[in-house]
Amino acid sequence: MTEAVSKPFFEDLEVGMRLPTVELGPMDRFDYIPIALILRDTNPLHLDRVYAQERGLPDVVQQGPLNQAYLYRYFTAWLHDPWDLVATKMRFAANVFPGDVLECGGEILELVEESDGGGLVNCAVWQRNQDGQTILKGEAKGRVPGR
Amino acid sequence: MDVDRTILIGRSLRSATYTVTEVDVNDFLGVVDEPEFVAFSNDSGLGDATATATEAARLAPPSFAPFVAVLGLLKTFDWQEDFLFDYRTGTAMFGEQSIQFHRPLRVGESVAITASISDVYEKQGKSRFDVIEVAFEITGGGEGDRLMSGQQSYILFK
Repeated sequence: MTEAVSKPFFEDLEVGMRLPTVELGPMDRFDYIPIALILRDTNPLHLDRVYAQERGLPDVVQQGPLNQAYLYRYFTAWLHDPWDLVATKMRFAANVFPGDVLECGGEILELVEESDGGGLVNCAVWQRNQDGQTILKGEAKGRVPGR
Repeated sequence: MDVDRTILIGRSLRSATYTVTEVDVNDFLGVVDEPEFVAFSNDSGLGDATATATEAARLAPPSFAPFVAVLGLLKTFDWQEDFLFDYRTGTAMFGEQSIQFHRPLRVGESVAITASISDVYEKQGKSRFDVIEVAFEITGGGEGDRLMSGQQSYILFK
């Protein structure tokens, strides 16, 4: 399977190309404190290990928007400019816990050429943990320039 | 007896605002390292005019967008009143989120969020749950200044 290099040009892309995978982590529980402050969400499920374990979870749960942010960063870093992002659609499939290592990947689903020589690229994107379990999956669309 | 939430379809939720503060974005960048977006401080030693101009031009990373959508939308509804759901005893989680981006998000700007319930349906997984789909639009200060629009679903277990 051909890999679509980062900062690609539209002419070099083909449907079915894989985006380079990126590994992140291990996830750090101390990152959940600033994220809780940003989200104004002090739910102990994200901050208190004993509370989470009393509810049958192995540890505190990483906040969902943080998982999303890592997948956004993965895709937008592949574009020439992060704000060439056009649209996203994502669904949560599983929780992330401290110590998890996440892998982000993608595949080109659709290419639509525009009049300036560049075009829109729509990709399947996903995030998995070290056990291969899907955390997030969806699509991301961005604008890519022509040469 | 189950609550019939289909009566909520079409309901307009309350308008809300959210300010993309420098503190929030800097805290975010401390966790999600974004090489193309640096943390900014007003103590940078720049003159006031330069600092103001730099601040006005500074963009938040797109990875911050889900936070704006989640935070903004949570201000637009009351779980009990608008979703007929007791958050103290029930279990809810985020479902699918889709966003269309119309322009970049600037640090320091206040955005307005409008939302309405576009669909409600029941699904059966390991247990039964309702899916509430909320359509939203996030705008900036000027008329017709669209930043983001999209849909967020909430899963309410029965």
